[in-house]
Amino acid sequence: MVTGRDVLLFIPNLIGYARIVFGIASAYYMPNDYVKASFCYATTFVLDEFDGRAARAFNQESKFGAILDLTTDRITSVMMQMMLCVFYPDYVFLFQMSMVIDIGAHWIFMHASTTSGLGHKAMAKETNPILRLYYTSESFLTTLCLGNEFFYSMLYLLHFIEGPVVFGMNILRMFLYLSFPIMATKTAISVMHLVEAVNRLCSIDAADRNKSKS
Amino acid sequence: MATTTRDILLFIPNLIGYVRIVLAIFSAYYMPFDYVKASFCYAISVALDAIDGHAARAFNQGTKFGAMLDQLTDRASTATLVMTLSYFYPKYVFLLQMSLVIDIVSHWMHLHVSIMKGSSHKSMGLDSNPIMKLYYTSRPVLFFMCAGNEVFYSMLYLLYFIEGPIVFGVSILRVFLFVSFPIMAAKTFISLIHLIDASIRLCAIDAEERNKSN
Repeated sequence: MVTGRDVLLFIPNLIGYARIVFGIASAYYMPNDYVKASFCYATTFVLDEFDGRAARAFNQESKFGAILDLTTDRITSVMMQMMLCVFYPDYVFLFQMSMVIDIGAHWIFMHASTTSGLGHKAMAKETNPILRLYYTSESFLTTLCLGNEFFYSMLYLLHFIEGPVVFGMNILRMFLYLSFPIMATKTAISVMHLVEAVNRLCSIDAADRNKSKS
Repeated sequence: MATTTRDILLFIPNLIGYVRIVLAIFSAYYMPFDYVKASFCYAISVALDAIDGHAARAFNQGTKFGAMLDQLTDRASTATLVMTLSYFYPKYVFLLQMSLVIDIVSHWMHLHVSIMKGSSHKSMGLDSNPIMKLYYTSRPVLFFMCAGNEVFYSMLYLLYFIEGPIVFGVSILRVFLFVSFPIMAAKTFISLIHLIDASIRLCAIDAEERNKSN
């Protein structure tokens, strides 16, 4: 008999807790020590690869693990954006909007899929072709997520260092310019998620009302 | 006539919700430099929060979508305020990050677990704890905690721009700051407990599902 406690101690969830600890450590170092901060931040991403694999390998997938994963991703993003507000105060409004769209889209989407009983990733399969691509093409999704993170990471690092210059080109700045359109695309996709999720939730509401009327 | 998604989107409390969002965005835009406009928009958004609930009950237009919109707007506007405070008080970025993260994640987890099928409110004997029971069941207590929490961040915000009215040699804004500090601390602590409680309940649901399928 599996208990709640067993689920709390599933291997992928333990990895999840480690991700949180590294995330908090990263935030602690962020204002001053970019080396330690980057190391901890990068570790949370490396571990992110492993918790999914561990869940499948040990047959230890859980709703809790899925939410743990999702919220950890969101909060590491938030912490980075907050730091960037300090470093680039002229752009506070843009960071705020970007963060709100990111959190809002994931929040509503998760809410809609939990309410409808459909899995988080199963939901996009039917409608918007771009969202379908996002969920069915592993490389598209990975490119967008990584590119998005790169953009903010480059902004972060460039506050401290100019970075390596190769053939007269500043590598960090190059990554910054290359990842900017990816960050913009991902933000646009988040808005699509938001619209899709709002539609789903409202149709559930409509169906509930029609059911109770008849 | 069947209710459609479009009908739901145009329900009165949801229309109020959209106005709240617009006001929150304007508030965020003005936050870094115009505290008068920012405070005005923020305050109206909070006032409308009281009204949309009443409207939902009065017109029998309560919806899952509306409830979620409400929650999300609250979280997002708090987030924009805390992000601005990071820029104003860079020495306290880490504390602000932790506070925001706890706020978002605890509400997120709590909400998702409570809408899941099979979840019960009983867990960890938390309900038998008199303080938690009070928080859960007494609307005035909940309101007081939430208001006190918001007042703390609002005072931090205003004090960046102005000392405010001085009465008997004491700055009123600072008085409110010191008085609301323990309320903010208590609310953050309670949020943390909610987070742990929701996690445990979710794991219990996961365990139950596994046992059912075995």
